[in-house]
Amino acid sequence: MIQGGMNDDAIPGLPVDDSPFWKRALKHAAILASLLVVWEFVTAFGYADPLLFPRPSHIFASFVPLYVTRAIVWEHLWVTMATVMAGFVVGTILGIVLAVLAGLSETIHRYMKPYVIVLEAMPRIAIGPLMLAWLGFGFGAKLAIVTLVCFFAPFINTLTAILSANPAQLELMRSLGASKWQTLTKAIVPDAMPMIMAGVRMAMASALGGALVAEFISSNKGMGVLLDNLAAQLNMSGAFATLLSLTIIGYVLYALMEAIDNRVIFWQNDRGLRRVSARRRRRWEART
Amino acid sequence: MSGASTMSARLVRIATWLTDPVFLRRALTHLLIFAAIIGVWEWAGRTGRLNDLIMPAPSAIAEALWRMYFVTGEVYWHFFVTLYEAVAGFFIGSAIGAGLAIAAALSLTFRRYIAPYAIALNVTPGIAVTPIFIAWFGFGWSSKIALAALIVFFPVFVNTLSGLLRTDRDTSELFRSLGASRAQTFFKLMIPNAAPMIFAGLKIAMTSALVGAIVAEFASATEGIGILMQRYAHKLDIAASIAVLLSMALMGLFLFTMMEIADRRVVFWQHQNRLDAMSRRRRRRWSGAAVAEPARA
Repeated sequence: MIQGGMNDDAIPGLPVDDSPFWKRALKHAAILASLLVVWEFVTAFGYADPLLFPRPSHIFASFVPLYVTRAIVWEHLWVTMATVMAGFVVGTILGIVLAVLAGLSETIHRYMKPYVIVLEAMPRIAIGPLMLAWLGFGFGAKLAIVTLVCFFAPFINTLTAILSANPAQLELMRSLGASKWQTLTKAIVPDAMPMIMAGVRMAMASALGGALVAEFISSNKGMGVLLDNLAAQLNMSGAFATLLSLTIIGYVLYALMEAIDNRVIFWQNDRGLRRVSARRRRRWEART
Repeated sequence: MSGASTMSARLVRIATWLTDPVFLRRALTHLLIFAAIIGVWEWAGRTGRLNDLIMPAPSAIAEALWRMYFVTGEVYWHFFVTLYEAVAGFFIGSAIGAGLAIAAALSLTFRRYIAPYAIALNVTPGIAVTPIFIAWFGFGWSSKIALAALIVFFPVFVNTLSGLLRTDRDTSELFRSLGASRAQTFFKLMIPNAAPMIFAGLKIAMTSALVGAIVAEFASATEGIGILMQRYAHKLDIAASIAVLLSMALMGLFLFTMMEIADRRVVFWQHQNRLDAMSRRRRRRWSGAAVAEPARA
């Protein structure tokens, strides 16, 4: 996602900053600190409404009651993470399996397509209130919403990847006498893996948002509820602290997906390729 | 004249396509499948095999649609409000996203120092900001526009940036050796080169703008299609809420189609038939309108 743009591949002709890492980190920290200081004083001197833009020091201070003294965040955090994880797992598995089934037959795919297009165009989260009416205000509705949000990206990516399988490769598999199952597991799926994983990453990126929306519209527990309550009480420093917590959770989930991605499609990056070939060589040498 | 001949050629093409037996058979199968689904569903609803509170029959949904569009007509205003919020948010968010991305592409320093904030913004679910935006901007339209803009920002930013950074080295070398100015390099090389990716980002952004507007309406609003849907769901008028849901799908489809058309017009060289049309037009302009157009294979 972000590597595409954020690397240091400069446009040719522009200067390159090759100062050491610690120097750059120091500059980053200095910029952040000065931004925070400016914000702090702008609010402290009354140029901005502290009800709307709480001082950074107050935001950091409100981490303490949230996490330590009153410790109210933990149960909400637990509920949200359980929803995200369960919905993500169910939604992605369902999406990939159904897409593989649909991708195997061109006829099924052709007649399914209009429905998929309509579902794709519909804002998925909008089904939220309907899910609530169907499943009640409990965990079931939230799970269903996150599952639905996580379903589509893997489904569509898997379907696209399978349908665009390399015909020459399929020809080769056929002429080598591979069974349908072998063709699927040894040629089609590995070939489709990078795209499938891209879909899975998209699903993970939207899972947290889906869970939060589900909590906004229903539910009495979860980070979304906490945030909503704090903002409604105009406890903005608490709301910002919760938002920052969500940023951190989002980052952890993102890093987790990145690590899984590097393991699953190891042939797409040098380190993974080296790691796996070293392992295979060891195993091979042990055998001979 | 050449205009008339292309017109009739197009009509002939459409006619042959419509009467193509494969096309007819497929269209018929599509219709049959659709009719079968609706029929079974209706039958199950009529015979009491489906709970009205969970899955109302298609006829009930159709009736709700009819009521909302032609009897009370209440849907139009809500429809307009949400559309306005989504489109306004889309323009604001993508202008900021593209602007910052251009700055980040041109300056390595800026790119480096904006990167951590961009990453933080990316991993924060934009939807989470809803309660804060509502506290800031109130319950009216502006909080919805702000949320839509926030959600739109990132896909446009990333796609514009990576599109601009993907400038071909050899071509930019060529531009330099031909003595192109920096502005010329930017407008004639980098922007056209990045245009397909920018548009891919804009297409994603358009659908997410709608999601942003609707979610913000769920959180708190007095008008808009999201709140309409929620009201019906709370009244357990499921047929009407499914009808609203279908309207949302329609709106999403409409916005996506608009983006698709804009994409085909602007990034015409990525679509074969648009490329043909464009080169035909340029050839006509080049050789003067008097020259008849040669028949196309």
